[in-house]
Amino acid sequence: MGPGMSGRVHIAIFVVACLVGLMFASVSTYDFAQHLDRQVHDLHCSFVPGMASKLDDGGAAGCQVTLMSPYSSVLRAKIWGGIPISLPAMAMFAFLAFRGIDLLGRQGLARRKAAAVLFGLSSLPVIASVVMGIIAMVELDAACKLCIGIYGASLVAFLAAGLAFMAIRRAPADDDEARAPAPGPIGLVALAQLGGFVALAVVAWLLAMPDYSRYVGTCGKLSDTIDKGKVMVALDQNTGAESIEVFDPLCPACRAFDRRLAAAGLDVRLHRKAVLFPLDNTCNWMVDSAMHPGACTVSEAILCAEAGKGSTTPNQVIEWAFEAQEKVRDASKNDPEAAKRMVDERFPDLAACVGSDEAEQRLNRSLRWAVAHSIPVVTPQLYVEGTKLCPEDTDLGLEYSLTGLLDRKGGGGK
Amino acid sequence: MSAGRIVVGIALAVVPTVLAFTWVGSAGKRLAAMEAGAEAAEPAAAIASAADEGYCNGDLRKVLRRVLQSCGLMQSGEVRGCQPVQAKSVATMTGTDFNALFLPLSQRAGIIQFDQDSAELDPNDQKLLGELFADQRGASYFFVVARSSPEGSVEHNRELSQKRADSVLAHLRQSFNDPDLDREVGLLWLGEEFAQLEQDFCGWKRSGEAEKCKPKDINRSAFVAWIDCRL
Repeated sequence: MGPGMSGRVHIAIFVVACLVGLMFASVSTYDFAQHLDRQVHDLHCSFVPGMASKLDDGGAAGCQVTLMSPYSSVLRAKIWGGIPISLPAMAMFAFLAFRGIDLLGRQGLARRKAAAVLFGLSSLPVIASVVMGIIAMVELDAACKLCIGIYGASLVAFLAAGLAFMAIRRAPADDDEARAPAPGPIGLVALAQLGGFVALAVVAWLLAMPDYSRYVGTCGKLSDTIDKGKVMVALDQNTGAESIEVFDPLCPACRAFDRRLAAAGLDVRLHRKAVLFPLDNTCNWMVDSAMHPGACTVSEAILCAEAGKGSTTPNQVIEWAFEAQEKVRDASKNDPEAAKRMVDERFPDLAACVGSDEAEQRLNRSLRWAVAHSIPVVTPQLYVEGTKLCPEDTDLGLEYSLTGLLDRKGGGGK
Repeated sequence: MSAGRIVVGIALAVVPTVLAFTWVGSAGKRLAAMEAGAEAAEPAAAIASAADEGYCNGDLRKVLRRVLQSCGLMQSGEVRGCQPVQAKSVATMTGTDFNALFLPLSQRAGIIQFDQDSAELDPNDQKLLGELFADQRGASYFFVVARSSPEGSVEHNRELSQKRADSVLAHLRQSFNDPDLDREVGLLWLGEEFAQLEQDFCGWKRSGEAEKCKPKDINRSAFVAWIDCRL
């Protein structure tokens, strides 16, 4: 094999790996872009790029968690949804594929240098993959198949680039190489090219973005925010904007919303008070069935803690409820007393209060607060100084819309 | 760099750029279409509202409205209550028909039984009253219909039944810190004059002893019930 031919197989593998990475990153970006219409969509969460998964499919849950997490994009407070990190990943893979093809056509010293640059650059997606993989495992506790596809493609590309580099370096120099002029600054040119690839994609994304500012604060207002019936439960001691969160302690969407709010660092800009609205027909006449069995009992426990019926605080009950949501709901499906037993066991100081006439009546007042304010039968809902955060903006658009709402209200001090 | 490689470079740079522009633009178009109402919107979530059960037929609603309006509840939001004469005129029906209106409430109502010539609630009365009031669910109105047995004068019995109604309200006010109490609780005191309870009601939840259910026993009472009707 001549010196010009060395490493060609590895380069070919590298290009194919980059194209596969490009495909995975493209599907991920497509899924993200779909959500820019503020609606809910199925995800293409599969090792076969392009294969759709329903949202209720267990395998899609990891992709859903990852997509909605604050780590899936950057600049979320400035741009609705932010710039998905899969977009620069697309540009990166396209760029690396180009550099791989470019390497095939290079000769002599320039080929050696280009191979070294390619090897160095191919480490970028691997580093990004390691960082994102750690975040997925440690922070999100979720595995996203598309992301794993990207990690795998990055690794294969990196290994192939390394092998190609070694093969090219080991190949003997020919006479042409000795006579060839010294190559230019290949590394700098490559970095500039990479910047160009990424910038073009990001600019295209920004140019096509609709104006989301016109939706902020347009989803209705509460007639008043007075807590005449003393039904609200303070969730923090912050001095931020007065906010009312209508929520159900056993509702997965409420838990996810709470975590997104904290992850985005926006909870500290709010002084949140909860109005309990369990979606459980044991106490809530507005729902036909128990969507979250046991939620009435857990809500009573929160209200009992708020009323100082024990040493437990409302937040301790809420944290426990968020952690044990699935367990409580499953146990309460066929045994209406299960939630009460679980609450009593975990918070014995509240046992006498939970289930009492007083607790039942206080929870009923909380539900009637919802009636008096004609709010939708859905959880969670967040009202910032009386203005509702649009339900379409509680996931990807949370940072942008809530920041916009807070800025308009002139509140939300940190 | 050869022209071929430049073309490949441009082509590969264009791929993410065009895809990003197309996908985001497409989402923007869908958003605009939804805003313009061109696409069918998701069905809106139900709005929180008070309960309105099947037994809230036209007649019950009519009487409920008349009682609430005539007895001062709907206008002022303050409990005033209806005396027997008012109750008879607003109900415009016989006592039997009046009582029949409450028959569908057998699972929501209770009869608080008092001792003879007494308006005091004993622990059993308080317990039943507390249970019934706490079980409001989506009901908007809590009716307290107090009566007395025919012993004694009509005037005395009228006063006694009023005291019984007031006693129920005072207990609710003391036990439940409900700011809506005055808008929810409607008092009617009928004395011995109107709509005496028949023994058919003996099977309902009562605070009195099981065997104490002769007509005179069951009418020394306050009939209490949440009414799951919207007006």
